[in-house]
Amino acid sequence: MSRKKLTLSEEELVLALRNREKIAIEALYDMYSASLFGVICRIVIDEATAEDILQETFVKIWHSFSSYSADKGRLFTWMVNIARNLSIDKLRSKDFKNHSKNQELENNVTSIDEQRNTVYKPELMGIKELVQTLKPEQKSILDLVYFKGYTHVEAADELGIPLGTIKTRLRMAIIELRKHFN
Amino acid sequence: MEDVKKFIESGILELYVLGDVSPAERQQVDAMIQQHPAVKAELEEIEKALESYALENAVQPSQKQRTKILNSLVINLADDRVFTKKETVTEPTVITMRPPGSSNFYKYAFAASLALLVGSVVAIYNLNSKLQQTTQQLVAANLQTQRFTKTVNYMNDQLGVFRDTSYKILHLKGTKNLPNGSLLVAWNPAKKKVMIDLKSLNMPVNDKDHQYQLWALVGGKPVDLGVFDKIANDSTDMKQMKSVALAQAFAVTREPRGGSVNPTMSEMMIIGQF
Repeated sequence: MSRKKLTLSEEELVLALRNREKIAIEALYDMYSASLFGVICRIVIDEATAEDILQETFVKIWHSFSSYSADKGRLFTWMVNIARNLSIDKLRSKDFKNHSKNQELENNVTSIDEQRNTVYKPELMGIKELVQTLKPEQKSILDLVYFKGYTHVEAADELGIPLGTIKTRLRMAIIELRKHFN
Repeated sequence: MEDVKKFIESGILELYVLGDVSPAERQQVDAMIQQHPAVKAELEEIEKALESYALENAVQPSQKQRTKILNSLVINLADDRVFTKKETVTEPTVITMRPPGSSNFYKYAFAASLALLVGSVVAIYNLNSKLQQTTQQLVAANLQTQRFTKTVNYMNDQLGVFRDTSYKILHLKGTKNLPNGSLLVAWNPAKKKVMIDLKSLNMPVNDKDHQYQLWALVGGKPVDLGVFDKIANDSTDMKQMKSVALAQAFAVTREPRGGSVNPTMSEMMIIGQF
Protein backbone atom coordinates (compact mmCIF):
# COMPACT_ATOMS: atom_id res chain seq x y z
CA MET A 1 0.00 0.00 0.00
CA SER A 2 1.61 3.18 -1.14
CA ARG A 3 -1.12 5.38 0.30
CA LYS A 4 0.38 7.97 2.57
CA LYS A 5 -0.92 7.81 6.11
CA LEU A 6 -2.41 10.98 7.46
CA THR A 7 -1.03 12.15 10.78
CA LEU A 8 -1.92 15.25 12.77
CA SER A 9 -0.90 16.40 16.20
CA GLU A 10 -3.43 15.48 18.88
CA GLU A 11 -4.49 19.13 19.29
CA GLU A 12 -4.99 19.57 15.53
CA LEU A 13 -6.92 16.32 15.30
CA VAL A 14 -9.22 17.19 18.20
CA LEU A 15 -9.93 20.57 16.68
CA ALA A 16 -10.64 19.07 13.24
CA LEU A 17 -12.95 16.47 14.76
CA ARG A 18 -14.80 19.12 16.68
CA ASN A 19 -15.29 21.03 13.40
CA ARG A 20 -16.60 17.82 11.76
CA GLU A 21 -13.94 17.96 9.04
CA LYS A 22 -13.74 14.97 6.71
CA ILE A 23 -9.98 14.92 6.85
CA ALA A 24 -10.20 14.42 10.60
CA ILE A 25 -11.91 11.06 10.14
CA GLU A 26 -9.17 9.82 7.84
CA ALA A 27 -6.43 11.00 10.16
CA LEU A 28 -8.18 9.50 13.17
CA TYR A 29 -8.46 6.16 11.43
CA ASP A 30 -4.88 6.12 10.17
CA MET A 31 -3.43 7.12 13.51
CA TYR A 32 -5.42 4.92 15.83
CA SER A 33 -7.23 2.06 14.01
CA ALA A 34 -4.38 -0.44 14.48
CA SER A 35 -3.96 0.32 18.20
CA LEU A 36 -7.71 0.08 18.79
CA PHE A 37 -8.03 -3.05 16.63
CA GLY A 38 -5.25 -4.67 18.66
CA VAL A 39 -7.26 -4.22 21.86
CA ILE A 40 -10.57 -5.30 20.25
CA CYS A 41 -9.02 -8.40 18.67
CA ARG A 42 -7.67 -9.61 22.00
CA ILE A 43 -11.05 -9.28 23.69
CA VAL A 44 -13.35 -10.82 21.06
CA ILE A 45 -10.79 -13.06 19.23
CA ASP A 46 -13.07 -13.64 16.21
CA GLU A 47 -11.71 -11.38 13.47
CA ALA A 48 -15.01 -10.71 11.68
CA THR A 49 -16.61 -9.65 14.96
CA ALA A 50 -13.57 -7.50 15.79
CA GLU A 51 -13.95 -5.74 12.45
CA ASP A 52 -17.61 -5.02 13.20
CA ILE A 53 -16.67 -3.61 16.59
CA LEU A 54 -13.91 -1.47 15.10
CA GLN A 55 -16.52 0.07 12.82
CA GLU A 56 -18.93 0.60 15.73
CA THR A 57 -16.11 2.18 17.71
CA PHE A 58 -15.38 4.78 15.02
CA VAL A 59 -19.07 5.46 14.56
CA LYS A 60 -19.43 6.09 18.28
CA ILE A 61 -16.29 8.26 18.44
CA TRP A 62 -17.56 10.31 15.51
CA HIS A 63 -21.05 10.73 16.89
CA SER A 64 -20.33 11.34 20.54
CA PHE A 65 -17.19 13.36 20.09
CA SER A 66 -18.81 16.32 21.84
CA SER A 67 -18.64 14.37 25.10
CA TYR A 68 -14.83 14.14 24.90
CA SER A 69 -13.01 16.63 27.09
CA ALA A 70 -9.26 17.13 26.67
CA ASP A 71 -9.10 18.35 30.27
CA LYS A 72 -9.93 14.90 31.57
CA GLY A 73 -7.40 12.97 29.56
CA ARG A 74 -5.85 12.09 26.26
CA LEU A 75 -7.91 11.31 23.16
CA PHE A 76 -6.64 7.74 22.89
CA THR A 77 -7.58 6.96 26.50
CA TRP A 78 -11.15 8.03 25.76
CA MET A 79 -11.26 6.07 22.49
CA VAL A 80 -9.73 2.86 23.80
CA ASN A 81 -12.29 2.81 26.60
CA ILE A 82 -15.08 3.08 24.02
CA ALA A 83 -13.54 0.22 22.03
CA ARG A 84 -13.08 -1.91 25.16
CA ASN A 85 -16.62 -1.33 26.38
CA LEU A 86 -18.14 -2.17 22.98
CA SER A 87 -16.03 -5.34 22.83
CA ILE A 88 -17.05 -6.45 26.30
CA ASP A 89 -20.71 -5.68 25.57
CA LYS A 90 -20.47 -7.83 22.44
CA LEU A 91 -18.69 -10.61 24.30
CA ARG A 92 -21.43 -10.72 26.93
CA SER A 93 -24.35 -10.42 24.48
CA LYS A 94 -26.44 -13.51 23.80
CA ASP A 95 -25.93 -13.09 20.06
CA PHE A 96 -22.21 -13.39 20.37
CA LYS A 97 -22.34 -16.38 22.68
CA ASN A 98 -24.51 -18.25 20.17
CA HIS A 99 -22.34 -17.04 17.35
CA SER A 100 -19.13 -18.26 18.91
CA LYS A 101 -20.69 -21.63 19.72
CA ASN A 102 -21.68 -22.02 16.09
CA GLN A 103 -18.21 -21.05 15.05
CA GLU A 104 -16.79 -23.88 17.08
CA LEU A 105 -19.07 -26.36 15.37
CA GLU A 106 -18.83 -24.99 11.86
CA ASN A 107 -15.28 -24.17 11.03
CA ASN A 108 -12.91 -24.74 13.83
CA VAL A 109 -9.94 -24.94 11.55
CA THR A 110 -10.50 -21.62 9.84
CA SER A 111 -11.24 -19.79 13.05
CA ILE A 112 -8.16 -21.21 14.71
CA ASP A 113 -6.13 -20.16 11.70
CA GLU A 114 -7.62 -16.72 11.93
CA GLN A 115 -6.70 -16.50 15.58
CA ARG A 116 -3.16 -17.56 14.80
CA ASN A 117 -2.90 -14.95 12.09
CA THR A 118 -3.95 -12.36 14.60
CA VAL A 119 -1.51 -13.47 17.24
CA TYR A 120 1.48 -13.78 14.95
CA LYS A 121 1.04 -10.55 13.03
CA PRO A 122 4.46 -9.05 12.35
CA GLU A 123 3.32 -5.82 13.98
CA LEU A 124 3.38 -7.65 17.30
CA MET A 125 7.03 -8.64 17.12
CA GLY A 126 7.98 -5.75 19.40
CA ILE A 127 6.19 -7.49 22.25
CA LYS A 128 9.20 -9.73 22.82
CA GLU A 129 11.33 -6.77 23.74
CA LEU A 130 8.71 -5.64 26.23
CA VAL A 131 8.29 -8.99 27.89
CA GLN A 132 11.73 -8.50 29.38
CA THR A 133 10.84 -5.15 30.91
CA LEU A 134 7.67 -6.47 32.58
CA LYS A 135 7.74 -9.19 35.19
CA PRO A 136 5.39 -12.07 34.28
CA GLU A 137 3.02 -11.31 37.16
CA GLN A 138 2.87 -7.64 36.13
CA LYS A 139 2.26 -8.50 32.48
CA SER A 140 -0.51 -11.02 33.24
CA ILE A 141 -2.46 -8.48 35.29
CA LEU A 142 -1.94 -5.61 32.86
CA ASP A 143 -2.99 -7.75 29.89
CA LEU A 144 -6.09 -9.05 31.68
CA VAL A 145 -7.27 -5.52 32.42
CA TYR A 146 -6.01 -3.67 29.36
CA PHE A 147 -6.36 -6.26 26.61
CA LYS A 148 -8.95 -8.67 27.96
CA GLY A 149 -11.31 -6.11 29.41
CA TYR A 150 -11.33 -7.47 32.96
CA THR A 151 -12.01 -5.11 35.85
CA HIS A 152 -9.31 -5.22 38.50
CA VAL A 153 -11.84 -6.99 40.77
CA GLU A 154 -12.42 -9.68 38.16
CA ALA A 155 -8.66 -9.99 37.62
CA ALA A 156 -8.17 -10.51 41.39
CA ASP A 157 -10.79 -13.27 41.23
CA GLU A 158 -9.29 -14.86 38.13
CA LEU A 159 -5.74 -14.86 39.47
CA GLY A 160 -6.66 -15.52 43.11
CA ILE A 161 -4.73 -12.48 44.32
CA PRO A 162 -5.90 -9.86 46.90
CA LEU A 163 -7.28 -6.60 45.46
CA GLY A 164 -4.53 -4.50 47.05
CA THR A 165 -1.84 -6.63 45.44
CA ILE A 166 -3.59 -6.34 42.07
CA LYS A 167 -3.62 -2.54 42.33
CA THR A 168 0.05 -2.42 43.32
CA ARG A 169 1.17 -4.76 40.56
CA LEU A 170 -0.89 -2.87 38.01
CA ARG A 171 0.76 0.38 39.07
CA MET A 172 4.23 -1.18 39.03
CA ALA A 173 3.59 -2.59 35.55
CA ILE A 174 2.60 0.81 34.22
CA ILE A 175 5.60 2.43 35.88
CA GLU A 176 7.79 -0.10 34.04
CA LEU A 177 6.02 0.83 30.80
CA ARG A 178 6.64 4.51 31.49
CA LYS A 179 10.34 3.82 31.98
CA HIS A 180 10.37 1.88 28.75
CA PHE A 181 8.38 4.22 26.52
CA ASN A 182 8.34 7.77 27.86
CA MET B 1 1.32 17.86 48.86
CA GLU B 2 1.40 14.77 51.05
CA ASP B 3 -2.21 14.02 50.01
CA VAL B 4 -1.32 14.29 46.33
CA LYS B 5 1.52 11.80 46.70
CA LYS B 6 -0.72 9.37 48.55
CA PHE B 7 -3.42 9.83 45.93
CA ILE B 8 -1.00 9.09 43.12
CA GLU B 9 0.48 6.09 44.87
CA SER B 10 -2.95 4.58 45.61
CA GLY B 11 -3.09 3.42 41.98
CA ILE B 12 -6.46 5.02 41.33
CA LEU B 13 -5.10 7.03 38.39
CA GLU B 14 -4.14 3.82 36.61
CA LEU B 15 -7.63 2.41 37.12
CA TYR B 16 -9.09 5.73 35.94
CA VAL B 17 -7.14 5.50 32.68
CA LEU B 18 -8.25 1.87 32.29
CA GLY B 19 -11.89 2.98 32.76
CA ASP B 20 -12.17 0.80 35.85
CA VAL B 21 -13.47 3.29 38.44
CA SER B 22 -16.87 3.97 39.98
CA PRO B 23 -18.68 7.25 39.09
CA ALA B 24 -17.80 8.63 42.54
CA GLU B 25 -14.11 7.80 42.07
CA ARG B 26 -14.24 9.33 38.61
CA GLN B 27 -15.53 12.63 40.05
CA GLN B 28 -12.82 12.56 42.70
CA VAL B 29 -10.09 12.03 40.08
CA ASP B 30 -11.57 14.75 37.83
CA ALA B 31 -11.45 17.16 40.75
CA MET B 32 -7.86 16.25 41.63
CA ILE B 33 -6.77 16.79 38.02
CA GLN B 34 -8.31 20.27 38.04
CA GLN B 35 -6.69 21.21 41.35
CA HIS B 36 -3.23 19.63 41.13
CA PRO B 37 -0.99 19.94 38.05
CA ALA B 38 1.13 17.12 39.49
CA VAL B 39 -1.82 14.74 39.28
CA LYS B 40 -2.54 15.91 35.74
CA ALA B 41 1.11 15.29 34.80
CA GLU B 42 1.10 11.84 36.41
CA LEU B 43 -2.12 10.97 34.61
CA GLU B 44 -0.65 11.98 31.28
CA GLU B 45 2.44 9.83 31.90
CA ILE B 46 0.22 6.82 32.57
CA GLU B 47 -1.88 7.51 29.49
CA LYS B 48 1.12 7.87 27.23
CA ALA B 49 2.63 4.64 28.53
CA LEU B 50 -0.55 2.69 27.90
CA GLU B 51 -1.00 4.34 24.52
CA SER B 52 2.49 3.21 23.54
CA TYR B 53 1.75 -0.25 24.88
CA ALA B 54 -1.35 -0.42 22.69
CA LEU B 55 0.65 0.81 19.70
CA GLU B 56 3.22 -1.86 20.36
CA ASN B 57 0.45 -4.47 20.39
CA ALA B 58 -1.40 -2.96 17.45
CA VAL B 59 -3.05 -5.14 14.82
CA GLN B 60 -3.43 -3.57 11.38
CA PRO B 61 -6.99 -4.04 10.10
CA SER B 62 -7.36 -4.93 6.42
CA GLN B 63 -7.44 -2.21 3.77
CA LYS B 64 -11.05 -3.21 3.05
CA GLN B 65 -11.99 -2.11 6.57
CA ARG B 66 -10.57 1.35 6.06
CA THR B 67 -12.75 2.01 3.03
CA LYS B 68 -15.79 0.45 4.62
CA ILE B 69 -15.48 2.30 7.92
CA LEU B 70 -14.63 5.69 6.43
CA ASN B 71 -17.57 5.34 4.04
CA SER B 72 -19.91 4.38 6.84
CA LEU B 73 -18.90 7.50 8.75
CA VAL B 74 -19.47 9.81 5.79
CA ILE B 75 -22.64 8.27 4.28
CA ASN B 76 -25.84 7.40 6.06
CA LEU B 77 -24.64 5.66 9.18
CA ALA B 78 -27.93 4.33 10.48
CA ASP B 79 -28.60 2.08 7.46
CA ASP B 80 -25.18 0.51 7.58
CA ARG B 81 -25.34 -0.24 11.24
CA VAL B 82 -28.74 -1.86 11.01
CA PHE B 83 -27.54 -3.90 8.08
CA THR B 84 -24.46 -5.27 9.83
CA LYS B 85 -26.48 -6.03 12.93
CA LYS B 86 -29.08 -7.90 10.93
CA GLU B 87 -26.38 -9.93 9.30
CA THR B 88 -24.93 -11.13 12.58
CA VAL B 89 -28.38 -11.89 13.96
CA THR B 90 -29.70 -13.98 11.06
CA GLU B 91 -26.67 -16.22 10.95
CA PRO B 92 -27.06 -17.73 14.39
CA THR B 93 -30.84 -18.06 14.09
CA VAL B 94 -30.53 -20.18 10.94
CA ILE B 95 -28.08 -22.48 12.61
CA THR B 96 -29.70 -22.71 16.03
CA MET B 97 -32.92 -23.87 14.31
CA ARG B 98 -31.28 -27.18 13.54
CA PRO B 99 -30.80 -28.75 16.99
CA PRO B 100 -34.49 -28.40 18.01
CA GLY B 101 -35.51 -30.01 14.69
CA SER B 102 -33.30 -32.99 15.17
CA SER B 103 -34.19 -33.32 18.84
CA ASN B 104 -37.86 -33.36 17.77
CA PHE B 105 -37.10 -36.23 15.44
CA TYR B 106 -35.63 -38.21 18.33
CA LYS B 107 -38.61 -37.33 20.48
CA TYR B 108 -41.01 -38.73 17.88
CA ALA B 109 -38.77 -41.69 17.18
CA PHE B 110 -38.70 -42.47 20.88
CA ALA B 111 -42.48 -42.18 21.17
CA ALA B 112 -42.94 -44.39 18.11
CA SER B 113 -40.65 -47.11 19.40
CA LEU B 114 -42.38 -46.97 22.77
CA ALA B 115 -45.77 -47.47 21.08
CA LEU B 116 -44.31 -50.30 19.03
CA LEU B 117 -42.93 -51.92 22.16
CA VAL B 118 -46.30 -51.75 23.95
CA GLY B 119 -48.01 -53.17 20.85
CA SER B 120 -45.53 -56.01 20.64
CA VAL B 121 -45.94 -56.89 24.32
CA VAL B 122 -49.74 -57.06 23.93
CA ALA B 123 -49.42 -59.21 20.80
CA ILE B 124 -46.94 -61.54 22.50
CA TYR B 125 -49.21 -61.86 25.53
CA ASN B 126 -52.21 -62.73 23.34
CA LEU B 127 -50.27 -65.26 21.31
CA ASN B 128 -48.87 -66.82 24.45
CA SER B 129 -52.28 -67.32 26.08
CA LYS B 130 -53.60 -68.83 22.82
CA LEU B 131 -50.61 -71.14 22.73
CA GLN B 132 -51.24 -72.26 26.30
CA GLN B 133 -54.90 -72.94 25.49
CA THR B 134 -53.92 -74.99 22.47
CA THR B 135 -51.35 -76.92 24.49
CA GLN B 136 -53.98 -77.73 27.13
CA GLN B 137 -56.39 -78.93 24.48
CA LEU B 138 -53.69 -81.04 22.94
CA VAL B 139 -52.86 -82.64 26.29
CA ALA B 140 -56.54 -83.36 26.93
CA ALA B 141 -56.91 -84.87 23.46
CA ASN B 142 -53.83 -87.00 24.03
CA LEU B 143 -55.21 -88.29 27.33
CA GLN B 144 -58.49 -89.14 25.65
CA THR B 145 -56.68 -90.94 22.85
CA GLN B 146 -54.70 -92.93 25.41
CA ARG B 147 -57.92 -93.87 27.20
CA PHE B 148 -59.48 -94.98 23.96
CA THR B 149 -56.41 -96.95 23.00
CA LYS B 150 -56.46 -98.70 26.37
CA THR B 151 -60.11 -99.50 26.03
CA VAL B 152 -59.69 -100.75 22.49
CA ASN B 153 -56.72 -102.90 23.51
CA TYR B 154 -58.64 -104.26 26.45
CA MET B 155 -61.65 -105.08 24.34
CA ASN B 156 -59.38 -106.65 21.77
CA ASP B 157 -58.02 -108.90 24.52
CA GLN B 158 -61.52 -109.85 25.58
CA LEU B 159 -62.53 -110.48 22.01
CA GLY B 160 -59.40 -112.58 21.60
CA VAL B 161 -60.71 -114.94 24.26
CA PHE B 162 -63.63 -115.90 22.04
CA ARG B 163 -61.58 -115.97 18.88
CA ASP B 164 -58.84 -118.08 20.42
CA THR B 165 -59.78 -121.69 19.66
CA SER B 166 -57.74 -122.94 22.59
CA TYR B 167 -60.42 -121.46 24.92
CA LYS B 168 -63.30 -123.66 25.81
CA ILE B 169 -66.58 -121.83 26.41
CA LEU B 170 -68.92 -123.34 29.02
CA HIS B 171 -72.41 -122.11 29.64
CA LEU B 172 -73.29 -122.48 33.35
CA LYS B 173 -77.04 -122.88 33.89
CA GLY B 174 -79.31 -122.34 36.85
CA THR B 175 -80.04 -125.05 39.46
CA LYS B 176 -83.24 -125.36 41.39
CA ASN B 177 -82.00 -122.54 43.64
CA LEU B 178 -81.82 -120.14 40.68
CA PRO B 179 -83.61 -121.59 37.61
CA ASN B 180 -82.90 -118.50 35.39
CA GLY B 181 -79.26 -118.13 36.40
CA SER B 182 -76.53 -118.27 33.77
CA LEU B 183 -72.85 -117.37 33.21
CA LEU B 184 -70.30 -117.86 30.43
CA VAL B 185 -66.95 -119.28 31.53
CA ALA B 186 -63.97 -119.35 29.20
CA TRP B 187 -61.23 -121.78 30.09
CA ASN B 188 -57.91 -122.37 28.43
CA PRO B 189 -56.57 -125.69 29.69
CA ALA B 190 -53.15 -125.13 28.04
CA LYS B 191 -52.65 -121.73 29.70
CA LYS B 192 -54.65 -122.74 32.79
CA LYS B 193 -56.52 -119.48 32.39
CA VAL B 194 -60.12 -119.04 33.51
CA MET B 195 -62.21 -115.98 32.58
CA ILE B 196 -65.84 -115.20 33.38
CA ASP B 197 -67.93 -112.90 31.20
CA LEU B 198 -69.71 -110.55 33.61
CA LYS B 199 -71.90 -109.33 30.75
CA SER B 200 -73.48 -112.76 30.49
CA LEU B 201 -73.90 -113.07 34.25
CA ASN B 202 -77.55 -113.46 35.09
CA MET B 203 -77.78 -113.66 38.89
CA PRO B 204 -79.33 -111.55 41.63
CA VAL B 205 -77.25 -108.75 43.15
CA ASN B 206 -75.44 -110.12 46.18
CA ASP B 207 -75.73 -108.38 49.60
CA LYS B 208 -72.71 -106.97 51.37
CA ASP B 209 -72.33 -110.09 53.58
CA HIS B 210 -72.18 -112.54 50.67
CA GLN B 211 -70.24 -113.08 47.48
CA TYR B 212 -70.45 -115.60 44.68
CA GLN B 213 -67.63 -118.13 44.49
CA LEU B 214 -66.54 -120.05 41.38
CA TRP B 215 -65.49 -123.65 41.72
CA ALA B 216 -63.96 -126.20 39.42
CA LEU B 217 -64.71 -129.91 39.89
CA VAL B 218 -61.48 -131.77 39.44
CA GLY B 219 -61.76 -135.54 39.84
CA GLY B 220 -65.01 -135.03 41.82
CA LYS B 221 -63.43 -132.55 44.23
CA PRO B 222 -64.24 -128.82 44.26
CA VAL B 223 -61.28 -126.38 43.66
CA ASP B 224 -61.65 -122.70 44.63
CA LEU B 225 -61.34 -120.34 41.64
CA GLY B 226 -62.07 -117.07 43.49
CA VAL B 227 -65.00 -114.84 44.34
CA PHE B 228 -66.89 -112.20 42.35
CA ASP B 229 -69.76 -109.76 42.80
CA LYS B 230 -72.89 -109.07 40.85
CA ILE B 231 -73.14 -105.28 40.59
CA ALA B 232 -76.43 -103.55 39.95
CA ASN B 233 -75.38 -101.79 36.75
CA ASP B 234 -74.06 -104.43 34.46
CA SER B 235 -70.34 -104.57 33.85
CA THR B 236 -69.04 -105.39 30.39
CA ASP B 237 -65.72 -106.61 31.69
CA MET B 238 -64.35 -110.10 31.67
CA LYS B 239 -62.81 -111.10 34.95
CA GLN B 240 -59.83 -113.40 35.17
CA MET B 241 -60.20 -116.00 37.95
CA LYS B 242 -57.65 -118.35 39.58
CA SER B 243 -55.88 -120.85 37.35
CA VAL B 244 -56.82 -124.46 36.88
CA ALA B 245 -55.42 -127.09 34.48
CA LEU B 246 -58.04 -129.81 34.71
CA ALA B 247 -61.78 -129.49 35.23
CA GLN B 248 -64.81 -131.60 34.47
CA ALA B 249 -67.30 -129.03 35.58
CA PHE B 250 -67.67 -125.42 36.88
CA ALA B 251 -70.13 -124.25 39.48
CA VAL B 252 -71.00 -121.09 41.39
CA THR B 253 -72.16 -121.08 45.02
CA ARG B 254 -73.24 -118.24 47.31
CA GLU B 255 -70.76 -117.96 50.19
CA PRO B 256 -70.07 -115.54 53.01
CA ARG B 257 -67.99 -112.50 51.83
CA GLY B 258 -64.40 -113.55 51.10
CA GLY B 259 -65.36 -117.06 50.08
CA SER B 260 -65.19 -120.47 51.80
CA VAL B 261 -62.71 -123.33 51.73
CA ASN B 262 -65.40 -125.81 50.79
CA PRO B 263 -68.49 -124.99 48.79
CA THR B 264 -71.84 -124.81 50.55
CA MET B 265 -73.68 -127.27 48.37
CA SER B 266 -77.08 -126.02 49.46
CA GLU B 267 -76.21 -122.62 48.06
CA MET B 268 -75.23 -123.81 44.57
CA MET B 269 -76.69 -121.39 42.05
CA ILE B 270 -75.48 -122.46 38.63
CA ILE B 271 -73.48 -125.31 37.18
CA GLY B 272 -72.16 -126.55 33.84
CA GLN B 273 -70.09 -129.49 32.79
CA PHE B 274 -68.26 -130.67 29.71
